[in-house]
Amino acid sequence: MGMGKYILQRLAFTILVVLVISILVFVLTRVVGNPVDILLPLTATTEQRELLTKQLGLDRPMIQQLGDFLKSAATLDFGDSWTQRRPSMEVIFDYLPISALLILCAMAIAVLVAFPLGIIAAYKRGSLLDRFLTVLSLVGICMPPFWIGLMLMFFFAVKLGWLPTSGIGTWKHFILPAVTISFRPMGNLAQIVRYEMTQQLGEMYAITARAKGVREINLLRKHALKNIMTSSITMIGNDYCKQLGGLSAAVEVVYGFPGFGHLIKETIQSMDYPLLQAEVFFTAVIVCLINLIVDILYAAFDPRIRY
Amino acid sequence: MKKTLTLLLTAIICLGLVMSASAAGRADKESITIALQGELTTLDAQYPDDGNMRPITQNIYDTLYVLEKETLEPKPWLATGMNLVDSLTWEFKLREGVKFHDGSPLTVEDVVFSINRNISPELNSQFLNSVDAIDHAEAVDANTFRIVTKEPDPLLLKRLTLIPILSKAFTEAHTANELTLVANGTGPYKFVEWKSGSHVKITANENYWGEAPAIKNATYRFIEEKLTALSALQAGEVDLAVNILPEYVENTPKVFTNTSFETYWVRFNQIPENNSVFKNKDLRLAANYAIDFNTIAEALFLGYATPCQGQMGRDGYVGYNPNIIEYPYDVEKAKELMKAAGYNGEEIEFVSQRGRWLKDGELTEAIASYLLEAGFNVKTKILSWSEWLNVLFDKTKAPDIILSSNSNDFFDMDRPFSACVLSTSSQSAMNNPEYDAAILAARQELDTAKRQAMYEDLAAKFHEDPFALYTLSINDLHGGAADLNWTPRRDTRLYLIEMSFSD
Repeated sequence: MGMGKYILQRLAFTILVVLVISILVFVLTRVVGNPVDILLPLTATTEQRELLTKQLGLDRPMIQQLGDFLKSAATLDFGDSWTQRRPSMEVIFDYLPISALLILCAMAIAVLVAFPLGIIAAYKRGSLLDRFLTVLSLVGICMPPFWIGLMLMFFFAVKLGWLPTSGIGTWKHFILPAVTISFRPMGNLAQIVRYEMTQQLGEMYAITARAKGVREINLLRKHALKNIMTSSITMIGNDYCKQLGGLSAAVEVVYGFPGFGHLIKETIQSMDYPLLQAEVFFTAVIVCLINLIVDILYAAFDPRIRY
Repeated sequence: MKKTLTLLLTAIICLGLVMSASAAGRADKESITIALQGELTTLDAQYPDDGNMRPITQNIYDTLYVLEKETLEPKPWLATGMNLVDSLTWEFKLREGVKFHDGSPLTVEDVVFSINRNISPELNSQFLNSVDAIDHAEAVDANTFRIVTKEPDPLLLKRLTLIPILSKAFTEAHTANELTLVANGTGPYKFVEWKSGSHVKITANENYWGEAPAIKNATYRFIEEKLTALSALQAGEVDLAVNILPEYVENTPKVFTNTSFETYWVRFNQIPENNSVFKNKDLRLAANYAIDFNTIAEALFLGYATPCQGQMGRDGYVGYNPNIIEYPYDVEKAKELMKAAGYNGEEIEFVSQRGRWLKDGELTEAIASYLLEAGFNVKTKILSWSEWLNVLFDKTKAPDIILSSNSNDFFDMDRPFSACVLSTSSQSAMNNPEYDAAILAARQELDTAKRQAMYEDLAAKFHEDPFALYTLSINDLHGGAADLNWTPRRDTRLYLIEMSFSD
């Protein structure tokens, strides 16, 4: 099977996944509560509630609502956001790109720190340094991101005044949130790199290479590193999807960063169905695409994998 | 876990503040940055009930009337005078020489259009219930217009403090979608930009008909996390952070506070068809005697809350009864009343939610523990906001007691009585035709003194026969820069024109 055909197949699969997820979310959101109650103030009259129910089309049978939704979603029109009263797509494009960039920065930091740490730990496995690095990466995974965020903000923005506390506008606004988000993927990745590297260094090929007099740095660069790439890329892709799919919300809220996670959180709270549908749609598409990219990269790193 | 961490962090911040102190003079005394609690949803000020939009749009749009800061009485603003034609028809004169930000003059047509738009079912404004007593507005001549109400309406002038006056031509020239992102008012500030997720900027309107403001430029930032807003204030990034937590007061350069109009109340289920012990008046009284709200206000809100005086009304509200005093905290009396009522440990379901209002969950716990101590067999149920709403509005699901909040931005007892007591209200859990009739009669009484007497009478009745646990009101609490001069208003409006920086 050729690469082109494989990609086409995966794209078709993506459409199916997005369709199923959209329908699921559509049905689930409509059974958990009444958005009209949430949109209107407590003192709103019964007539006002009925009027809004009608204006939002929530009085129609669900199957009819679903039909209309699928029809317009096919043309990427998710309708106006109920809270912001402008096209949901427009809202998404205000929030998604900046989050994608922020998380990309965070992942870059994670990779740049986790690889050296993981490799050093693998070479010195069992030593005090190894244990220290292992604890460090576990701390990175376990500490609640909002807390890391508040601590970093306190020291670097309030005490030292080097960076802004919150908001957006300059590259400086990215530093603290990106570093905060990077902690968890960094910990995950360092663990993976350490484990895989330990395995590789004990493999027959490594022993043979060393016996032949291959320098350690070349062994690492030309062979071992390449062999741990598949699992690392899987992890990076996975973490990126998780963060973009809402995990970054806590950090974005702490830093007043108008990102996608922040938006998802607010949308869920306000039960803004059209916007929520659009968000779910985009999240699903992005997750599928990233997985596709990861699969393609597999083939690049491991010649045994061919599609 | 989150609370412990927050406390820990607050402690660290305290330490840090002790160590740091800076007092550099302000270079730019004409610009202010304000941290709001979240992003506004739209600039179409007639549509949402949005606490993050109003602080901005109230500086961009004028209204026909505003509330006088001290007396809370409506005073003419864009209107210059009023004359009651008959009990339903009010005639107003419009201020002359007023211009919109786009340069066009304010006309009677704009006013009529604005009022009729705000009450229209097509717009279905989220605060429609506050203005739909108005039937319509009509022009009389070049600077006279009339407003016709559905019933005689003593609250009309206060309703007019809510309706932003828009330009008819400007509004009609934009689609509904476009109107969410643009603004053209007659107010002291002009809209400059709204950077999605980041900020809104407004600037002084040089052609304003009123006094020129000291502050020329304002930037509103959206910071949801309260600790972040405090950090931004400490770092000097913002000059005012609205609604800080009482715990932050010590670390705030300058504190701005005033009483507000939000009152917590715990509704008793008196629905005849429902099987609640609180259909018994003595048990409702007993519950009110069983709770020490003064202690709760001190311990939980660090004094930044004001306990109710045995009624929902407050000093300064139309209909407040100064002769009623608070229920004393008296557990023995509560127990006597419970015994007399034959209460036998029947389970009492107490529904609440957490996170919507300041310390709502903690307040629920405090109330429940006081009730338990008096011998009420209370089972607390904390729901999510949407489940809670569902329970509040569905009378067949009404629990024995439920914690809610009542907002009285008109400072008038029609608000709480209509919302909490009137049997047709979606929030009430009682059906008393006598009270209904009294509330509806007071709502239509145009004679202020008579109306006051009617409400005082009702307040006295509701003291004897409580429809709720009258709990407390949270005070408004803001943190600001040390050189900011401002006195928060009881109506909570953040008028920039009332702010300045000292030298």
